[in-house]
Amino acid sequence: MTAQVILNGLVTGMVVALPAVALTLIYGILKFPNFAIGAMLTVGAYLALALNVYLSLPVLYAAAIGAAAFAVVAVGIDQAVFRPLRERSAITLLVASMGVSFVLENIVRFIFGNGARSFELPLARPKLVFGLRINNEQIFTAVAVIAAMTAVYVVLRHTPLGRAMRAVSDNPALAAARGIDRERIVRWTWVIAGLLTAAAGVLVGMDRAIDPLLGWNYIVTVFAASILGGLGNPVGAVLGALTVGVVEETSTLLIAPNYRQVVSFCAIALLLLLRPQGLLGVQRIKK
Amino acid sequence: MIAYLITILTLVGIVAILGLALNLQWGLCGMVNFGMAGFFALGAYTAALVALAGAGSLAATLAAAVVCAAACAVVAVISLRLSEEYLAILTLGFGEVIRLFVLNEEWLTHGSLGLPGIPRPLWGFVSEKSYEALFLGLLIAVVLALFVALEILLHSPFGRAIRAVREDDIVATTLGKNVVMLRVKAFGLGGAIIGVAGAFHAYYLTYIDPSQFSATITAYVFMAVIAGGRGSNRGLLLGAATIMVFIEGTRFLKDLFNVLDATQLAAIRLILIGLGLILFLIYRPQGFLPEYRLKTRSLVRERPSVSQSAS
Repeated sequence: MTAQVILNGLVTGMVVALPAVALTLIYGILKFPNFAIGAMLTVGAYLALALNVYLSLPVLYAAAIGAAAFAVVAVGIDQAVFRPLRERSAITLLVASMGVSFVLENIVRFIFGNGARSFELPLARPKLVFGLRINNEQIFTAVAVIAAMTAVYVVLRHTPLGRAMRAVSDNPALAAARGIDRERIVRWTWVIAGLLTAAAGVLVGMDRAIDPLLGWNYIVTVFAASILGGLGNPVGAVLGALTVGVVEETSTLLIAPNYRQVVSFCAIALLLLLRPQGLLGVQRIKK
Repeated sequence: MIAYLITILTLVGIVAILGLALNLQWGLCGMVNFGMAGFFALGAYTAALVALAGAGSLAATLAAAVVCAAACAVVAVISLRLSEEYLAILTLGFGEVIRLFVLNEEWLTHGSLGLPGIPRPLWGFVSEKSYEALFLGLLIAVVLALFVALEILLHSPFGRAIRAVREDDIVATTLGKNVVMLRVKAFGLGGAIIGVAGAFHAYYLTYIDPSQFSATITAYVFMAVIAGGRGSNRGLLLGAATIMVFIEGTRFLKDLFNVLDATQLAAIRLILIGLGLILFLIYRPQGFLPEYRLKTRSLVRERPSVSQSAS
């Protein structure tokens, strides 16, 4: 029973890891927490849904095309909304991201309505491995997330783009002095963030019904994950997401499952009180 | 037509109270509150429960103000060592926590069924037909009282101190201001005002359920504050009125395009509000009526009193 709960928690955590990394990458480059991350998940899920249901593409292809399309949308949003606000305070960008969130969520609501929908997936019995119930979606999620995270890690660690991204994140002025084109880095960051959130939207959508509040229901969890890892730290965000996933699932043994987000919120509050820099973060307190 | 106008004005009044609160928290003290809808719900439910217990409207309103002030102060205390972004995240999270609590603690809040039959203030004082007008009068009196109180506060040493904290908390600390206390006070006071708005919302509808406290409220209030001009209470009243005119105006879209259903209409409104927020932030960040600032001339003339009260 406990092992089953931890397994489910790890899978939930893996799904959360994708938007948490996206959030943390954007924070690293642009220095604001993007509140539209929930709405971005939702749009990602609906894009894949539209391709899956209306064009009858298999979910995998629908997800890939949807994610690619959404990466372009994410860059477009940045150019239209965040670029003119580049030099403004983090709070201004935050409020603007809230505006983006309203627009995205309600475009979805306008087109698809409030009703819950789901992907057309072949039904399959869960497999039993060492007494643990594992269903196909969970295996698919694990494979997809591990592949995506490896890809992000390789890009960040071993490519010129990744080095430039880390440089801009560490010290924008120094990076600019070394001739790194910040705008180019910002665009690529949004591409990666768009791909990750759209993919996460599809994974959430496979697990449960798709409705316009799909992403909103994850927003506290995603923020908890990236704060736990220290905002701006991608590896920390992954560990934070796995921790939050396991803690949320385990908490359902003790309290009502509806209060999962409350558990995440308490985790954020406690962490900010006791260790504001995040579990892996460096000291960056503002008095 | 008169009844319709009274309804709209009542809604403007409630949004205006919320806007005054956000203006104090964010506009003046720089502490953004994304949990607006949650704190609003907290106020409404507190007032409703106390009023239903038979304590009278005045006690219920006070209870709502106290509970919301305490909740806001707690959130401010948790984030006191951190930069503003973390406070924003905490308020958002806290708002969600309240929403989940209201939805799930059925023994107290009746969950999604909501609380009916909330007693109204001054009920039976006038005939039932003219009650709505009396209620509106009461609400306008409260809005004006809060407006005047906040204007006085804005020009008081406390108001200047919290604006200094917003502009640069290190300078404020250097000048011997207790930044943490100022932040907690300003945020808590804002919370009390949100509680009053919640109470009036509950009295007005006499029935509250969780669906009334969606992120839509947060959107309206932010739009009112940004359109009006952050930090400007006068601008805020204008902003709140503009928002409600806009919301009621879009009602007629339905007649123009009769293919739209209610969900789509609500969606269009929020899309427009979202776009409005972004456009204001990009093109007119100071809003319609920019914040009052000391001009050099008046500063010179008022110098003695300024240095006196700042000491």
